Amino acid sequence: MSIEPITGRYLTVTIEGAPRRIYFEEAGQGRPVLCLHTAGADTRQWRHLLNDIEITKTNRLIAFDMPWHGKSLPPEGFQTQEYMLTTEAYIETVLAVIDGLGLDRPVLAGCSMGGRIALQLAALHPDRFSGFIAIEASDFQPAWYDIDWFHRPDAHGGEMGAALVSANISPYAPEAERWNTLWMFMQGGPGVFRGDLSFYTRDDSLIGRLGRIDTGKTPVHIIVGAYDLTCTPEDARRTADGIPGATLAVMDELGHFPMSEHPEGFRPFFADALALMPGASGNMR
Amino acid sequence: MLEIFKSIQAQLNATPHLLRLGRLFSETILIDVDGEEFYLTFDKGRLDTVTPGPSRKTPWRFALRTDADALARFWQARPEPGFHDIFGLVKIGRGRIDGDILALVKNLRFFKDVMTLPRVKEMGA
Repeated sequence: MSIEPITGRYLTVTIEGAPRRIYFEEAGQGRPVLCLHTAGADTRQWRHLLNDIEITKTNRLIAFDMPWHGKSLPPEGFQTQEYMLTTEAYIETVLAVIDGLGLDRPVLAGCSMGGRIALQLAALHPDRFSGFIAIEASDFQPAWYDIDWFHRPDAHGGEMGAALVSANISPYAPEAERWNTLWMFMQGGPGVFRGDLSFYTRDDSLIGRLGRIDTGKTPVHIIVGAYDLTCTPEDARRTADGIPGATLAVMDELGHFPMSEHPEGFRPFFADALALMPGASGNMR
Repeated sequence: MLEIFKSIQAQLNATPHLLRLGRLFSETILIDVDGEEFYLTFDKGRLDTVTPGPSRKTPWRFALRTDADALARFWQARPEPGFHDIFGLVKIGRGRIDGDILALVKNLRFFKDVMTLPRVKEMGA
């Protein structure tokens, strides 16, 4: 029998003029680190790090489910809406959570679309953060698939989405964690993965903003897995090269969901990233 | 190469969870390896026949075109990046998928799991 140190609560904030009930989890104390999940998934991707007592000894890790994801409800009236995430709504959501939780300049750690928005926030709202860890993150890459596949009445979008994203998981990932990672995609609400991918594969506005990022004030560290077909090491390297002072780490044995697919393999890279951010204390390795 | 597809046939037809995943899949697909054709005909998830080509008379739903070296690397226990997935082969220019892609995507887990059946199992895995 074991009980984990993670606690979960709900926060209601206003986004796009309407209330959103947002589920968040946290563990640890000290420097706040806000963690963003990938498209089509939820906070469970971060559970291994939230349960890592060496990391949470000096870091307060907080992760939340985006509206429409996990235990965060969609907005009232969702039944007639087409979910399409935008850069603006995503930024508003992250800032609303920071305000709602009273976080003082947290480190922002995001994976995939969470990494993309972390870099957008590094360009547009650096004063709200102390540093950025952008995982499987790039300036932009168009879809190599049709996002409409994942929302149609004659097939299960979650099962198709999971089968597609399995292409991004490393063969080094432990089997159990590979399938736990895919399960989140299988569970996604109808049209939600598609709506996330709309943001991720169609909005290229970050490209022109990379040069604005001042890593002298807020460091940017990019981490990428060699088995990631969606955001390849080349995509991440190009992005890092576009941000003066950004640092890059390539993980030879990991894929697109490193904190979830292979927690042990990812841990040292995340500890190194945290050590690069302001306010680091203690040896987490 | 024919022996490998015959081994896929034997393994698939003895794997209940894959037969359950493929229970709505009754199609002929083409695997093209260095221009050599193999037609795999599935019936409700079972791989009924593996027929070597060439054939101009066999209709197929979708095709995977690749090369023998790429498949050998794909079937390693821990393939190199790009060789670890059929879409990886496409991404690195060692594979092409033609035909009714949606039919593939609707049955994607089934087809991928079938294609990885020859993958070398690690000791203790």
